Amino acid sequence: MIEVKGLRKSFGSLEILKGIDTTIEKGEKVVVIGPSGSGKSTFLRCLNMLEKPTGGSVIFEGTDLTKMNDKQLHKMREKMGMVFQHFHLFPHLTIRKNLTLAPVKLKLMSKEQADESAEIMLKKVGLSDKADSYPNMLSGGQKQRIAIARALVMNPDVMLFDEPTSALDPEMVGEVLGLMKQLAAEGMTMVVVTHEMGFAREVASRVLFIDEGVIAEENTPEKIFSSPDSPRLQSFLSKVL
Amino acid sequence: MEDFFEKLHDTFIVDDRWKYLTNGLKTTLIITFFAVILGMALGFFVAVIRATHDKTGRLKVLNFISKMYLTVIRGTPVMVQLLIIYYVIFASVRIDKTFVGILAFGINSGAYVAEIVRSGIMSIDSGQFEAGASLGLDYTKTMIYIIIPQAFKNVLPALANECIVLLKETSVAGYIALEDLTKGGDIIRSVTYEAFLPLIAVALIYLVIVVGLSSLVGRLERRLKKSDRG
Repeated sequence: MIEVKGLRKSFGSLEILKGIDTTIEKGEKVVVIGPSGSGKSTFLRCLNMLEKPTGGSVIFEGTDLTKMNDKQLHKMREKMGMVFQHFHLFPHLTIRKNLTLAPVKLKLMSKEQADESAEIMLKKVGLSDKADSYPNMLSGGQKQRIAIARALVMNPDVMLFDEPTSALDPEMVGEVLGLMKQLAAEGMTMVVVTHEMGFAREVASRVLFIDEGVIAEENTPEKIFSSPDSPRLQSFLSKVL
Repeated sequence: MEDFFEKLHDTFIVDDRWKYLTNGLKTTLIITFFAVILGMALGFFVAVIRATHDKTGRLKVLNFISKMYLTVIRGTPVMVQLLIIYYVIFASVRIDKTFVGILAFGINSGAYVAEIVRSGIMSIDSGQFEAGASLGLDYTKTMIYIIIPQAFKNVLPALANECIVLLKETSVAGYIALEDLTKGGDIIRSVTYEAFLPLIAVALIYLVIVVGLSSLVGRLERRLKKSDRG
């Protein structure tokens, strides 16, 4: 579904990604781990071109995103949901409007269809009663669940999660991870950048360990966590586990 | 006391002199109203150009023109601009003076509105742009539906203040012989040789309008605050 070839990204003279190659198949749950500053978030943001790669290619459903014009990119992003560390809900809109804005303004759904779809998604994330609230009236965990629902209303083929629980109070991490597990069980293709090793172990079909801009190790969670090959991964795991 | 009422009578009642004030007020309000609309439209347009250029590097030519506009308008007094528009730009054309007033004050106000709105746009977290983009919204749609409404809310007090400033600034309209509120008071003064009453009346009328507008804005702000609760 997503094929990444020789992906490079520099900010000025600082090279963050130094050639990433990997393929994400439909239905896979890829969890990306690694030390901070290793480039894992940049990698994720290159997948939907929020960061424009400086080299290599990202092929999504058969088309090279690095060669697309802006219009094609916007169309493509409808199929790639993204969840951010800091939620980025639209504070001036009610929860319902947060969910329906994009599908209605992009003319993918009528207002009625979008409202209906929003209702279904709110039920799914367990926040039906918040439809008419504003984002700032919600807790962090609730905000992130709404952010997930907002991405799901677009009916994406793949969901990208950029440290979705890193900004949450500890007691709210569980509700968000629970929802993500539910999504995984339903067969959603997911790429998740996270520090939640428990989640990686339980949900991932594959774990990517990114360090210093390259995939230093890539394997099933069992292999990664019980018998890591490289010393760098061993030392990283010893710090986070 | 007798004396005071006689003066009051002389100033406002004799020859229907109060009409200078009401007609003047009408002109002032018309000019302010349409100048605010023109200024807002112009200001938002320029602000979006400037912000887009700052954020994406596009629109170089439009940005250059916008910067020139801001420099010239903010670097010269509004009265000079008014005189130039009337006596230079429209020198050879017979043109409605109220229209000239609207144009001059609108163009002037637009420059200040532009900088207010631009600061509002730049203050919005870039995550909002990214969230819009991640949902497939293009830059324009993100701007219209996500960024501008938040920016507008943030700068509403400053914008309202600009409207109030504009209302007061129109008092120089008399320089192109527009009979606005200030000019109306001044005409009364010149026929009655009595300065105190007409000028105080003019000042009071401005004050009442400004206080009224301020309280309206306060109410609007409280309504917009609803989404900030929590």
